[in-house]
Amino acid sequence: MAMAIPKSGYNRFMKEGAQHFKGTDEAVQRNIDACVELASQIRSAYGPNGMNKMVINHIEKLFVTNDAATILKELEIQHPAARIIIMATEMQEKQVGDNTNTVVILAASLLEHASQLINMGMTPQEVAAGYEQAAEKALEILPSLVVKTASDLKNIDEVRHYLRSAITSKQYDNEDVIAELVAKACVTTVPSNSYNFNVDNIRICKIIGSGVSKSTVMNGMVFKRGAEGEIKSAQDARIAVFTCPFDLTQTETKGTILIENADELVNFSKGEESEVEEQVKAIAETGVKVVVAAGKFGDLYLHFLNKYKIMAVRLTSKFDLRRLCRTIGAQAQARICAPAVNLLGHCDIVKVTEIGDENVVVFDKKSEKGNVATIIIRGSSQSRIDDVERAVDDAVNTYKALTKDGQLLAGAGAVEIELSKQIESFGEKAPGLEQYAIKKFAHALETLPKAIAENAGMNTTETLTKLHAEHCAGNANHGIDIWQQELMDAVQNNIFDLYAGKRLAIKLATDAAATILKVDQIIMAKQATGGPKPRGPKPQDEDDEGMA
Amino acid sequence: MMRPPIILLKDGTENKQGKGQILSNINACQVVADSIRTTLGPRGLDKLIVDSKGATTISNDGATILKLLDIVFPAASVMVDIARSQDAEVGDGTTSVVVLAAEMLKRMKPFIEDGVHPQLLIRAISRASEEVLKYLNELEIKINGKKELREMLVKCAATTLSSKLVSQERQFFANMVVDAVNTLDENLPLNMIGIKKVSGGNLHESRLVKGVAFQKAFSYAGFEMQPKKYTNAKVALLNIELELKAEKENAEMRLTNVSDFQAVVDAEWNILYDKLQKIADSGANVVLSKLPIGDVATQWFADRDMFCAGRIPQDDLDRLMAACGGSVLTTVSQIEESVLGTCGNFYEQQVGSERYNFFEDCSKAQACTLLLRGGAEQFIAETERSLHDAIMIVRRAKKNDSIVAGGGAIEMELAKLLRDKARTIAGKEQMFWMAFARSFEIIPQQLCQNAGLDGLDIVNKLRHRHSTGEKWAGIDIHREAIGDNLDACVWEPSIVKRNAITAATEAVCLVLSIDQTVKNVRTPSGGAMPGLPGQ
Repeated sequence: MAMAIPKSGYNRFMKEGAQHFKGTDEAVQRNIDACVELASQIRSAYGPNGMNKMVINHIEKLFVTNDAATILKELEIQHPAARIIIMATEMQEKQVGDNTNTVVILAASLLEHASQLINMGMTPQEVAAGYEQAAEKALEILPSLVVKTASDLKNIDEVRHYLRSAITSKQYDNEDVIAELVAKACVTTVPSNSYNFNVDNIRICKIIGSGVSKSTVMNGMVFKRGAEGEIKSAQDARIAVFTCPFDLTQTETKGTILIENADELVNFSKGEESEVEEQVKAIAETGVKVVVAAGKFGDLYLHFLNKYKIMAVRLTSKFDLRRLCRTIGAQAQARICAPAVNLLGHCDIVKVTEIGDENVVVFDKKSEKGNVATIIIRGSSQSRIDDVERAVDDAVNTYKALTKDGQLLAGAGAVEIELSKQIESFGEKAPGLEQYAIKKFAHALETLPKAIAENAGMNTTETLTKLHAEHCAGNANHGIDIWQQELMDAVQNNIFDLYAGKRLAIKLATDAAATILKVDQIIMAKQATGGPKPRGPKPQDEDDEGMA
Repeated sequence: MMRPPIILLKDGTENKQGKGQILSNINACQVVADSIRTTLGPRGLDKLIVDSKGATTISNDGATILKLLDIVFPAASVMVDIARSQDAEVGDGTTSVVVLAAEMLKRMKPFIEDGVHPQLLIRAISRASEEVLKYLNELEIKINGKKELREMLVKCAATTLSSKLVSQERQFFANMVVDAVNTLDENLPLNMIGIKKVSGGNLHESRLVKGVAFQKAFSYAGFEMQPKKYTNAKVALLNIELELKAEKENAEMRLTNVSDFQAVVDAEWNILYDKLQKIADSGANVVLSKLPIGDVATQWFADRDMFCAGRIPQDDLDRLMAACGGSVLTTVSQIEESVLGTCGNFYEQQVGSERYNFFEDCSKAQACTLLLRGGAEQFIAETERSLHDAIMIVRRAKKNDSIVAGGGAIEMELAKLLRDKARTIAGKEQMFWMAFARSFEIIPQQLCQNAGLDGLDIVNKLRHRHSTGEKWAGIDIHREAIGDNLDACVWEPSIVKRNAITAATEAVCLVLSIDQTVKNVRTPSGGAMPGLPGQ
């Protein structure tokens, strides 16, 4: 807009530089276009056959992934309407930790269909209302489609089946390996009341080298550092944990030691030595074989630890220390002392070993059950390992969701088609204009199986038609078999989706779509310059290149 | 009003997608592989790289070259990663892994161009690679017996070294490396093999010290008077500064009269003499410390016919501990004979232009030092890298005692088995398997090319030999002919091949699975303000 033209209308009220868009054409359609564009970006990442995206973010870190949440986070989407969808995915990621791509694709598809209705003459409000009604109905139907309830969450074989589908869509090919690892890790750490399962209890240790299939899981923890002293391994060890540096305590207040005559000088260091030795000796006498501390190991202390054959491990992270305490059942001490026996932890094997070319300290509990399990991910490149890590994360979250709500739906697009079928017939019965919207909702649901088929290189129209035919014939669990490129019974093939995840995804997608539809005006104030500068990885420039 | 275009991403963001993207990624990986292709094999050539600081490196180690190349193209960095991972896991075969991965990509490229869905390729490749690893397990030969094991290790080391700068001396160094690794404890810690480089002399003067050797440390007056040769020396390893110094930094003296002052000065001297006396009383005659040993202490030790050296680097001290036993002491108040190390033979000797201290025939003997001699500095540096590779190979081979024949033999056999298997597959996957099988043949082909032989001709002959059942037929570069490489003792640990195949396959799958690259603008000052839509 050239400056010379006198401003008219709304713009007159606003400061220079502000923008505003109004009306169905300008605001709603534009928003819809933006969201559809967004979905088309990540649509090819959906499903087991989805492709990876390579994203290089603003600090030049490389991501290779097909995890929608990660892609969207790193893409730095600017458009406000598209951001609404992203917020919905973030919610999904937080609540369930999976199915983020479903939210985006469904929401965008809803909007795309809405656009047709709006062109037909319906108002966005009517469409939104229709969608909401349809979503309500969908959520009503969904419980009736539950095909299985995960009952035994402590059985590795069973858990593995449930997790497989979550992993298949992230790490096609390695799904069995990873499902096995995660299932084992989850079952190891799940408490007797599985509702209290904590995601934090499954640790991931990434070490480059070898291949993904060489990844392992162990009961205990692995840290990427060596031991401090000369002792490099201990068996059946009692462990003392200290949150302080294992060194001479420095007083907070600055003080000097006053020495008044020569004898004091001579005896000074002797006293220090014997005191340190006494402390270490006292610890050794409680049967401790390993000392873990949060800070530096003093030379003198290390000397005596070596003398009493105690292994010394330094951990820098407070969180790691806390987790280790949980693993070995120790209570951390805030100062150097000989802890009571009940405050000591125990571990079967503590040792320094070499994985790849990395020296690691392993705290291995040999037992079946444990508090913390570590998955050691191997892989030939960093980006590969990172992506496996994300898949593991998703799978662990899936397990967590299972502990909260063990209901499962048929996967492979079966449940979407069934829902679509039922909503379509529900729409037929609707008396008003919302009928159109409800039917479009049913169509929008089909986008998901369509995306699966499309990414698998199948003929989408043909596949969908076949699916519909099967479902009308009463085979409610038929989904797409991407391996054989035909249809199959998802339940028989052990492909499940989480009820909780699907439910939330449908709800969030509908909400996001409805919100975007209901916006008819966008006003953007001129962006303020100044204010608190965003924190960055590098020192900031003199002035921010804002909108000045 | 005109509707401005919808801008989803930040201005300046690069966004590429689709088939073209996959193809350009493949091309980028080819370029990377091309840059190190010629280093493969015994007749491979070296690269000279001058880095941004002007330091020159001569190397034919794939991982080293790629590390120095500083590759920024995102997909190509995967190649660097797999070379690194091979280096970390096995230590050798870094060039072959990159060449193999690039060849697989090259063979897959026509399929992508023809519109095959990349996921189908990925599926086929990873299945085929599982199959290959299975074949490898069947083919590998387990070595039993102590004598055979040693021979096997020497042969594996020799095979590795044959492709390096020092290939002329490979038998000499192979024996040396195997002896070095054999001195280690069961964990085979790499840092217990010290490598010292002294320029001058020739390669043959390099030697393995079964014990520890290090350059003479900085010394004070009095050092010359100390004896430089002991038999059955007792070694005290210290982490103490043997010098007059403040007991504690934040201590303060308040003195009331002059006589006290003299007493304090005496006390300080006494503290030092006390420490020295205790060391002497313990029976030690070689005193080594991580921290400086001052002139007072040096002369005091000289008076008592003891040897001392201060400022010994930590890793040398660690090796001494592994070789001589004993432990590093932070205090001498409780020094006694049991914490001292013992060493059968200690002496100081001139090596090139440097004085070196040698500790040999040590009691615990779990460390050793390779003393490398040679002409130019870069030459020794490359020798060190080559030996590092050989050491890694021997370490791995010692843990996994099975071998395969090198020189392209195993690759040809795997390709043959894969092809046989592929013929049993119905459907288009067969073509992918065939292409995958073909890509293994790049290794012998490249070996030939680097040696100036006709690659196509030799590969064809090899194919024929393998189909008649000679499963270890490979290239004999030195005779420029085909022969049984198992008999010719061109051996490699099977773990090298296993890891190379796994890593290459994973890299290929990764590159094929990327259909979009989004490159955000690098923010110069943290996150910038979000922009406006449509502008």
